[in-house]
Amino acid sequence: MTSRISKTAFAAVLLGLGALGASPAMAQDAVISAAKAAGTVGEQADGYLGIKGNVSGDVRSAVDALNIKRRAAYTDLAAKRGVTVQDMAAVTGCQTLAGRVSQGQIYRIGTGDWQAKGAGPIALPDYCATAAK
Amino acid sequence: MMGYGIWIGRTARWSTGLLLAGMAGGCIQVRAPEKPIEINLNVKIQQEVVVRLQQDAKDLIQNNPELFPQ
Repeated sequence: MTSRISKTAFAAVLLGLGALGASPAMAQDAVISAAKAAGTVGEQADGYLGIKGNVSGDVRSAVDALNIKRRAAYTDLAAKRGVTVQDMAAVTGCQTLAGRVSQGQIYRIGTGDWQAKGAGPIALPDYCATAAK
Repeated sequence: MMGYGIWIGRTARWSTGLLLAGMAGGCIQVRAPEKPIEINLNVKIQQEVVVRLQQDAKDLIQNNPELFPQ
């Protein structure tokens, strides 16, 4: 409970900083980091962020905005490499699931349930293993 | 007469077609055994693409950390 309050306070402070003139992207990232810590936003194997349950409008719009930016980046790279946007996003999803989900944060593979990352590495989809680091 | 003209035209096309088919006979025979090899090549290329994308994905995350907040 305490940690939830402090996380909310942390997010509020960061939001306040954003309002005071820090770049919107920074504030957006802070909202997402706080939501990840709170277990309402997580990485998906498809390369995008997902939302678990009900979240505030701020969180939802931050997630939407970030996913749009990711899609733009994936589209760019996919065009350069002659692959589909979906493939580019999914291969990036392998990377985020493998290296950018902290213990306790949630993640989702395909249409499966949201899971909290345990102490060990996430069991990645088969296609990720093709090019294991 | 018009009908006669069309008939000649058809014959010409037919014989051209037959000639091409005759010339292509060798090619078709070569193409058949190629098919399974082609499939293998596709798989190999796909693996190469995945490996290459993996590096692109790593670079993307590293160069754009703001898109991947933790």
